[in-house]
Formats: sequence, structure tokens, C-alpha cells
Amino acid sequence: MTDNKTSKEQKYDRQLRLWGDHGQETLENAHVCLINATATGTEILKNLVLPGIGVFTLVDGHKVSGEDVGNNFFLTSSSIGKNRAQAATELLQELNSDVSGNFVEESPDKLLDNSPEFFHRFSLVIGVQLPESTYLRLGSVLWEAGVPFLICRTYGLIGYMRLIVKEHTVVESHPDNALEDLRLDQPFTELKHHVESYDLDNMEKKDHSHTPWIIVVAKYLEKWYSEHNSQLPKNYKEKEAFRKLIREGILTNENGTPEDEENFEEAIKNVNTALNPTKVPSATEDIFNAEQCENITSQSPSFWVIAHGVRDFVRNEGNGKLPVRGTIPDMIADSDKFIKLQNVYRDKAMKDAAVVSKHVEALLQSVGKPPESTSEQEIKLFCKNAAFLRVVRCRSLAEEYSADTFNKDEITSCMDSTDSEMVLYLMLRSVDRFYQQHSRYPGVYNYQVEEDINKLKLCVNSLLQEYSLNVNVKDDYIHEFCRYGAAEPHTVAAFLGGSAAQEAIKIITHQFVPFNNTFLYNAMSQTSATFQL
Amino acid sequence: TEVPTMAQLVGPLRKELADSLFSCRVLVVGAGGIGCELLKNLVLTGFKNIEVIDLDTIDVSNLNRQFLFQKKHVGKSKAQVAKESVLRFCPSANITAYHDSIMNPDYNVEFFRNFQLVMNALDNRAARNHVNRMCLAADIPLIESGTAGYLGQVTVIKKGQTECYECQPKPTQKTFPGCTIRNTPSEPIHCIVWAKYLFNQLFGEEDADQEVSPDTADPEAAWNPADAAARATASDQDGDIKRVSTKEWARSTGYDPVKLFNKLFKDDIMYLLTMDKLWKKRKAPLPLDWTEIQQIESSQEEACGTGLKDQQVLGVQGYTQLFRRSVETLRSQLIEKGEGAELVWDKDDPPAMDFVTAAANLRMNVFSMNMKSRFDVKSMAGNIIPAIATTNAVIAGLIVLEALKILNSDFDQCRTVSLRSQSNLMCTRPLYVQIEDGKGTILISSEEGETEANNNKFLSDFGIRNGSRLQADDFLQDYTLLVNVIHSEELEKDVEFEVVGDAPDKAPAPSAPEEGKNIANGNKDSAQPSTSSKAAAEDDDVLIIDSDEEPSSSTMEASPESSNRKRKHHDADDAASKRKRLDQQPADDDEDIIALD
Repeated sequence: MTDNKTSKEQKYDRQLRLWGDHGQETLENAHVCLINATATGTEILKNLVLPGIGVFTLVDGHKVSGEDVGNNFFLTSSSIGKNRAQAATELLQELNSDVSGNFVEESPDKLLDNSPEFFHRFSLVIGVQLPESTYLRLGSVLWEAGVPFLICRTYGLIGYMRLIVKEHTVVESHPDNALEDLRLDQPFTELKHHVESYDLDNMEKKDHSHTPWIIVVAKYLEKWYSEHNSQLPKNYKEKEAFRKLIREGILTNENGTPEDEENFEEAIKNVNTALNPTKVPSATEDIFNAEQCENITSQSPSFWVIAHGVRDFVRNEGNGKLPVRGTIPDMIADSDKFIKLQNVYRDKAMKDAAVVSKHVEALLQSVGKPPESTSEQEIKLFCKNAAFLRVVRCRSLAEEYSADTFNKDEITSCMDSTDSEMVLYLMLRSVDRFYQQHSRYPGVYNYQVEEDINKLKLCVNSLLQEYSLNVNVKDDYIHEFCRYGAAEPHTVAAFLGGSAAQEAIKIITHQFVPFNNTFLYNAMSQTSATFQL
Repeated sequence: TEVPTMAQLVGPLRKELADSLFSCRVLVVGAGGIGCELLKNLVLTGFKNIEVIDLDTIDVSNLNRQFLFQKKHVGKSKAQVAKESVLRFCPSANITAYHDSIMNPDYNVEFFRNFQLVMNALDNRAARNHVNRMCLAADIPLIESGTAGYLGQVTVIKKGQTECYECQPKPTQKTFPGCTIRNTPSEPIHCIVWAKYLFNQLFGEEDADQEVSPDTADPEAAWNPADAAARATASDQDGDIKRVSTKEWARSTGYDPVKLFNKLFKDDIMYLLTMDKLWKKRKAPLPLDWTEIQQIESSQEEACGTGLKDQQVLGVQGYTQLFRRSVETLRSQLIEKGEGAELVWDKDDPPAMDFVTAAANLRMNVFSMNMKSRFDVKSMAGNIIPAIATTNAVIAGLIVLEALKILNSDFDQCRTVSLRSQSNLMCTRPLYVQIEDGKGTILISSEEGETEANNNKFLSDFGIRNGSRLQADDFLQDYTLLVNVIHSEELEKDVEFEVVGDAPDKAPAPSAPEEGKNIANGNKDSAQPSTSSKAAAEDDDVLIIDSDEEPSSSTMEASPESSNRKRKHHDADDAASKRKRLDQQPADDDEDIIALD
């Protein structure tokens, strides 16, 4: 191991515990484009540079102003008048010598005019404090190119994020309450044989109390089957009865009192989860039935190729079941018994993954791709997480903005409840309308606040009218948004910078499930909500 | 030139509040992950007079999130470097740094009274308790905060108006009985604790409470006295090393790794084996022998686990080698430091961590446990909580927003904000459901883990029956909701309970603290179940609490300001604690909850 690798391991130790070294590797290979080094923008970048993103490119045509220096930690008064992208890049770069930073002293609009393909190269584009016309243009370019786009905006005491990604696949979704994959309801042959190798009735006390609980449950399940028509204990009463059956198996001492057998206690405790029927979760089933899984071409991403391979496995060798995950939880048992049991599951998982590999290989061949275009490791990781796969599909900005396809139901049903964060969305759309008409946001000059309130009100009404929305926006919000004067208070920017960077890391690492598709934060009430728009 | 710090804030913030930021004085306790972010947020919001205290120095593993520090600062005072870095960017701020413990008596009540506001950015409970008490004594508002991986929380504490940090008992850090550590470890953590003790016994400060040799006074071993005396004599004659301190003995051998190894993993274990009562019900330990291990062919040893070297589990031979190497390194460190020097165990110091990894794993092997990777041992030995920049940034942003409310005296607007799964927000107030039984038995609490033990119990276990009243309390705004439990035989199939009466969507003014509400079975008017009792009725009048619904999450959904559009998320876990949580919270289907008509 090189020194560099060791020092990285040390530096990133606390985050490797969240996304692993392969997550770190994807992060280090990513190239993120961030547009506009405002307070929100530099906060996001800071939170991406620190954990060690590979490369960033800052795009900003603005010059540093006094106001910028007042709310932005990465701009100093000596940088006033300089290009903002350049000034911020210098200081952000200091945060982490492993990250390389570029800057482009150009406005995104100019880049879109001259060479829209400039944006195709990035793993992710983050647009901060952009005018509506710019993010709509950029949104359609990126949508066509298949580059994920994250829009972030701090507007007074409101935070807004919108994620636009056509299709984002997640193998490691890190579910909170994942059940173990033990197959006790449908044991595979090797597991059956292994269970048979135990004879709980003729065992030394020490061995008896060091038999893994999985074996204990499997043994008593056989007993249960013989008395219950080969049916699993299903409801509460039956499970209670099954627990009782296990409890009766605890050895007793010469006085007839039960011994302390922790493995049996574990078995009893785990009855609920252990007897969960093995089935393909509906989210995974949906993935199997998706068109992208059905029609594999030489262009198909490896996620879909492997998904197809797993589907073939499920429909053939797997007899309707996913590949065995191959891990078991820690439990009371002596090393020898534990390792043997663990190996039973692990070996089966390897075997299943090998079968999946064969399917994948055949599939690749059929579309004229070399077998090495997916790695063994990738397939193993996929099989291990087959029950937790996720595909996130966001609606495009075009769909959100078109009067034919906008999500009217979501908007109207949310607006039914008082003070839903949905009103903030409508207000942001209204201030954008204001900007379009007046080339400035409402309330930026104190002397204009009063007249701006009326103008903004007109914008709200015309927005509602255009979309035939029969909802009520309280005047309070119009006043409030005028009062904001499009300011970007640092604390709100800091909050949004943390949230946005976290979502960016999810997108880049393909781990954890990103939000879909609109996030709104109200700093005054400390509430937030997500909507699908 | 004076930078217009507040220029942009005057809009959204009231002018007088903006002005008060210039004059007020605040204390930040801790300059770590949250502290760095917080200092930046404070100066950029317009706070001018800031004092910061931290006794810690900078470590490499801080650099992935504590952005005021760079590699060249490693080993320096966090508070001092944080101050210098902030001043570099914001020269107009007035910052005082203390490289010291806040628990030092110099920081007395008078000291605390210098501030309008105290903000905690700490990482340990002892200091949190201390600052909590000092702030109560000085009557200074405190903002308490913490993060763990993707999770975080911010709470405002103000004497007489909110709960304080210690109002609710926190789960105590787990400690283990001495004889479990010394004689009968049954879990890897016991071996890891033993290995940390061993480090201190050999290289660090000796502590009588951290004995590592066999405990002959183990009550479970219960020898008859004559036996014990005979043993004592026998071991004396063997020149048994327990007569001198472990450190002295180790020093006398010149920290010879082989001698240390054979004492710890062979002789001491053989001695334990003579305490035969211990092994009647347990699997007896298996001593290791240095010479035998050297003879194992290395090809038999298979490293398990993939990825980084840290995440691999070595075999006995591998750990034996690691033991030898780390003892040799630590020995030379000790020599370098000179006569009478001591080493301090630090999870981020590679040789110290190697030593604990090796010693703990060898002991796990002796006691027939599954060995652990260095990565896992480090998590457990260092009580490591995963930490990332993003969560700290979010939490520090929230702290300052609460701070502004405090300076504005808007205490009724202050929130306890919890950051839940994967950077998704969930906002709530502290909420408890207690039984009106005169004893104030708490049934459900928004405090994580506090009422976990209740999950599998029946309501009848608490004496709840027809006519019982449950009281849901929201502390911060003095809001109480009463739930009358009424038994009914007329529930439709699969209907577990019904809520009768309108759920108030807004909290009433404090002058009207009670809202009556009935839960009745059998009434067809089903309203939104806005109470947190996820109860189910059975024909024999027994109710149990749904075991797959975490009380905290259900209470959160019942809190007045969370609408059904809020993202509902279970607590996120970091990968390390996931397995444990599974045990506590079986995600089962609802058949388990009973219910029947």
C-alpha cells in the first residue's frame, strides 16, 4: 500500500464508514461543474472538496462584489473586482490538496450560446442562483445529454432544490430496516444438509448452547411443519406458539429448571424476522419488468445488463427467488459452527452469482460486447443488493413547466392544507416571473418594496391563471418574498449547501436514494418538504 | 475596508436584530466538526464578539470536514487555529480562543454570564452536562447540538422555558463488569476493552480499575478458601508474574513480544482454565502457543473480506505478527520518550491501534469468537461515530437560525430540529405520552431509545383499560392532548382502533391547554389517527403496541407542524450500528400485531 493511500485512509476514515472505499473511489473519479460561486455555491463546493471529489469546474461570469464578500466565506475583500470563479477556486482549492479545481470566467448563458456540449463532460452539474431562463435552457441541454442536473437556490429564508435526472440507478440503497436473507422458509439444498448435520437431541450441553440460532429455528421449524401441515407459523398466535415450542427445547438442569441458553433466546427473539417469506420485492420486480431491462443493447448501462442476468436467474435456476445474499448476522455460537454456517450461505451466494455471471456473459455476447465489460465484483455487489435496487426517474423541467403536463393534482392537493411548503414553490415561480418582466427581483431596493408588492401580486395571479390553478396564496407570503429582496443569508446558504452536497454525493456514488424531485426548506418555521413536480 | 457583512441580511432580518448582533457576545464550546462550521456561520451572519474553547488538538482524520484546518495544522490547538483561519477570511471579527477544557473551574458562573448565548458543539456527554448546568445556573440560553453520520439535532435550552439537557435520562455508556473483561469475555467488545486496558497497563498510565490478568476473586468461580490458598502458594512458587505489576514485569522482559504473548494468551489462559467452575456452562478458552503458531503454514491462513487492507480479517498467525510488530514499535516509542514516559492510547495512532487490533483478535480467538477487521475494531475501540462535512454544515446552519430567534426573544418559536435519514429533514417538538395513573408512567417518548422496552408490551401491562386516559405532552409550548381509551367489541375485521373526535391541526393558545379526544373502537367515524398510540384491540380486551412502529416516528407524525407531505423516514443508521438495530426493531408485517375482533 502506498503512503498516499494510507494517508487518504486516515483522512477519510470517518466517511469511509458511510460509503465504503468503492464509494470513495467513485467520488474521486467524479468531475462536478458548479455554476455561480455565491454563498450557496461555495458552501456546496466546500462540502464536496472536503470529502475528496476528483475535479471541480467553477463557471461564473460575475465579478466579486462587496456583498459577495459579506456572505461568502471563500471570497475576501482583496478579491473584490476579480472574477468570482477564479477567486473562489483559489480558496476552495486550499481545503484539499487531493482535489483539482478549474474555473471558467464565463456566464452559463454564453457557454450555452457558444458550445452547449461543454456541459456534456460532467458527472453532475449544479446550478446555483440561476435565472429561470438559464436553468430551463441548461436543463434541456443536460436532459438530452443524460447528465444529472441539480438546481439550488437560497431566496431569503427559503431554500429550494430540484433534481433532474432521467434515470438514476442505485445498487446500494442502504435500506434502514433490511431483513436478513436466510431462506428458512425455503431452504436451499446445501442449507438443508447443513441443518441435518445437527442433532439437537443428542448433543453435549456446551454444543447445544453454542448452536447458531438459525439452526435452532430451522430445526424447530421442521418439528412445527410435521404438526401443522407443513405451513409456516403466520400470525401472531402461531408465532407465539412457535416461540413456545423453541422455548421448550431449552435444556433443563437436574432440578428441571431451564438452563441459560442465550442462543435459544436469540432464536425466540428472531422468530418474527426469520420466518418472513422469501420473495422478490416489488421494487426489484418493477426493475425486471422495465423496458430497459427487457431490451438490452450494446449501449445498455451495466446496471441493466446485470439486472437482466439476475432476472434470468430468478426465472430459471432461482425458481422465483433472488440470488442468496450470503451474509448472516452476528450471533451466539462458537467460531467453528458460526463459520461453517456462514460458509454455507457464502458459498451459495458465490454459486448463485456465478450463475448470474454466466447469464450476463451470454447476454453480452448476444449484443456483441466483450464479457469483461462487467466485472465479477460488480455482479457480486449487485446480487448481494438485489433486494434493495432502486431506480429514480425524475420528471424533466419541460414537463414541470408545460401547462399540459405540470403536476396539477400535487399542487392543488397540497395547497388545501394551510401553510404547506407548496406555497413557497408557487412564490418562487412568481418571483421568476417578476424577474422576467422587470429584469430584477422584487424588493431588492428598499424604496421599491411597496410598489413591488403589487407587482408581485400580479405575477402570482398571472401564474395561477396560466395554469388554471384555483388556489389561494396568502398576501403574507407576497409581503415576505418582497422583504427577502432575493437576499442570500449565509446560514440558509450553509444549510442548503450541506443538503445539496449530500444529494450530490448520493448521485455521484450511486449509493443511498436521492430525493425526487423538489425540496423546499422554510428557515423561519424550520420545516421542509419534498414534492414530485 | 469594512465589508458590508449584514448588507444582505437587513432585508430578511429585522433591523434591530441585525444591530444587536454587533454588540452581543457569544460562546462556542468546541471547535470540531460543528464548531468550524458554526464559527464561519456566526461571523458571516454578523456576530462580532465570539469566544471559542476546545481542549483538543488537530488530527488528520479531522480534515475531511473541519475545514478551518489543514495538514500543516495537525497537532496544533483546534480553538487557536480555528480563530486564525476565521480571521484570515473575516478580519473584522473579534474572536478569543481558549485551548482548554470548559470543565476547568476557571470557567465559572461569572464567566458564563459574560455571554448572551452559549452554543455547544461538543462530542461528549460529560461536557454537555456540565455546560447545561452552568447555563442553567447563569440563566444563559444554550443551543445544544450533535451529529452522527447523516443524523443530527439542534435543541434550544432556556431556564424555565424548555427542558434542559439532563431533564431526560440518556442511555448510559455501556460498561462491563471486571470479571467479564478479565475472565469470561463473551463478545468481541469485551476483548477490545481488555486490549485497550492492556495497552494502558503496558505502555500507558496504570489504572487499578483496568486490570487485565485473571480475576481470582470472581464470585462465579467461588473456590473454597483452602483451594484458593493452595493456588496462591503454587503460583507464588511459579514466580507468578501477578505479584508484580504488569508493567514492571513487561519492562523486566524488555517488552519481549514472545514473552508477552505467551503470558497473555497461554499462561493466563491456562490459569483461567484452572478456575473450572467458570467453564461448566461456557465453552472453555483455548490457549495459544507462540511456537506452534509460527509453524502454521501461511498458506493455510486466508484473509477474509475484500477492499482495503483495514477491512480484512487476518488469521491467528497474521494477528500474532501484528502483535509482535506493534509491541516492537511501541517499545521503541517508549524508549524514545525517555525514562518514566507513558504512551496515551489514541485510535488514530497506527501502532496503538494495531496493538489493540492484534491483542483483541487473539483474545477473541482464544475465546472462540469471530475475529474482527482492524476497521471494525477501530469503530468499537474508539467509539467512532461516522462524520461528514454535509451534516455538520446543515446542523450549524440550523444553530444560527435558532440563535437569531433567541436574540429576538422568540422562545416560543424555537424548535427542536432533527435531521433524519440521509439528509432529510423532520421537524418536531419533544413529545411524550404518559399514563394518567398518578405515577406519570411514560409510555411513548420522542427521545430515542427511552421507551424502546415498551414496544412489545401490552397496554394492559401498564394497567391501561377501558376508561384510562393517556396524556400527550408537548413541552415547548405547554400543549397537552388527552386521549380517552374506550374498549369496544364491535370493531370490523382488521380494524385495530379508531380515533373519534377532530384532531386539532393547530396548537391552541397556552391558556387552553386541554383538548379532549376519544379513541373508541367500533365507531365508524374514523378520523385521522393523530395520536401516537399505535394500538390494536384484541377480543380479550388486550392491546399491544405495534412492534414495527417506532414510537418516536409515530409521535413525530402526530406533531402539529408535520403534514403528510413531510418525508417520513426511519432513522438512518450508519452501517456499523445497523445490525444491532435490526434486532431491536424487526420490520415485520402487521400480522404480528394483533388484533382481532
